[in-house]
Amino acid sequence: MQAQTRNRQWPWVAIGLSLAVAFTLSMVSPADSVQGDLVRIMYVHVPAAWLAYLAFFVTFVGSVGYLTTKDLRWDRIAAASAEIGVYFTGLAIALGMIWAKPTWGVWWTWDARLTLTAIMFFVYLGYLALRRTTDDPVIRAGRSSVLGVLGALQIPLVHFSVVWWRTLHQPPSLVRPDGPAIQDPLMLTALIVGVLAFTIVYGSLMVKRIELIKLDDQKAAIEQSIERPVAGEAVTVPDLGASS
Amino acid sequence: MSEWGWVAFAYAVTYGSLGVFAGSIAVRIRNTRRSIGETE
Repeated sequence: MQAQTRNRQWPWVAIGLSLAVAFTLSMVSPADSVQGDLVRIMYVHVPAAWLAYLAFFVTFVGSVGYLTTKDLRWDRIAAASAEIGVYFTGLAIALGMIWAKPTWGVWWTWDARLTLTAIMFFVYLGYLALRRTTDDPVIRAGRSSVLGVLGALQIPLVHFSVVWWRTLHQPPSLVRPDGPAIQDPLMLTALIVGVLAFTIVYGSLMVKRIELIKLDDQKAAIEQSIERPVAGEAVTVPDLGASS
Repeated sequence: MSEWGWVAFAYAVTYGSLGVFAGSIAVRIRNTRRSIGETE
C-alpha cells in the first residue's frame, strides 16, 4: 500500500523539485542592461506560453488519434491536455500583462500576438464547455475532437504573429532562424531550465489529470450499475389503504 | 512599484495559481477515490 501511495505521489515531487531549480536559477541570473530586474518575468512568461502551445498540440494529437481509432483513451489525453493548456494560456496572458505595464506603460494593447493569444484562450475555453454539453462519452469525444483539430490551427498563427505582422510584442526569444536572442549564458540557461521545468510540470499534471479522468469514468460506471430508486431514498410510496 | 515589486507580483501569480491548480486536481482525485470506496 505504501509503495502504491509513493508511486502516486511522484508527480507532485517532480513538480516541486523542477520549480525549485527553475526559481533559483531565475533569481541568481543577472539583470538585463535595458530591462533591469524586470527581465526575470521572462523566465516564467516564456515557459508558460511554450506550455500553452505544447498542451494544445497534444490536444490536437489526441483528437486526431480519437477520430482515426475511435479509442476513448485518445480523448482522455486530449481533454486532460486542453484543461492544462487553458490554465497555461491564462497564466501567459496574465504574466504578459504584468510585464507590459512597467515596460510598455499599459496592461494591454490590441497587438496581433496578444489578441490572437486571447482568442486562442477563449476557443479552448469553448472546447472545455463543449465537453460539458453531453454525458455520452462517444458523442462528447466526437464533438470535441473536431474542435481539438480545428483549434490547433491557431498555434502557428499565434507563434508567427510577431513575424508576420508589425507588433509591439518582441520576436521569439529562443526559436529563431539566427539562434536565441539572449547572449548571456546564465540568462540563456535560466530560460532553458525554466522551459524544461515547466515541461516537467506539464507532464506531471497530465499524469494526475488522466488519473482523475479514469477515476471519474469508474465512478460513472459504478453509478450506472447501481439500481437507484427513481424518486430518491427520502420519498416513500404512500399507503392508500388498498390492502385493507 | 519597483522592478522587484513587479517581479514578486509575477512570481506570486505563477506559483500561487500553479499551487491552486495542482491542489484542485489532488483534491478532486482524493474525493473521487473516496466516493468509489478506493483507499488512498
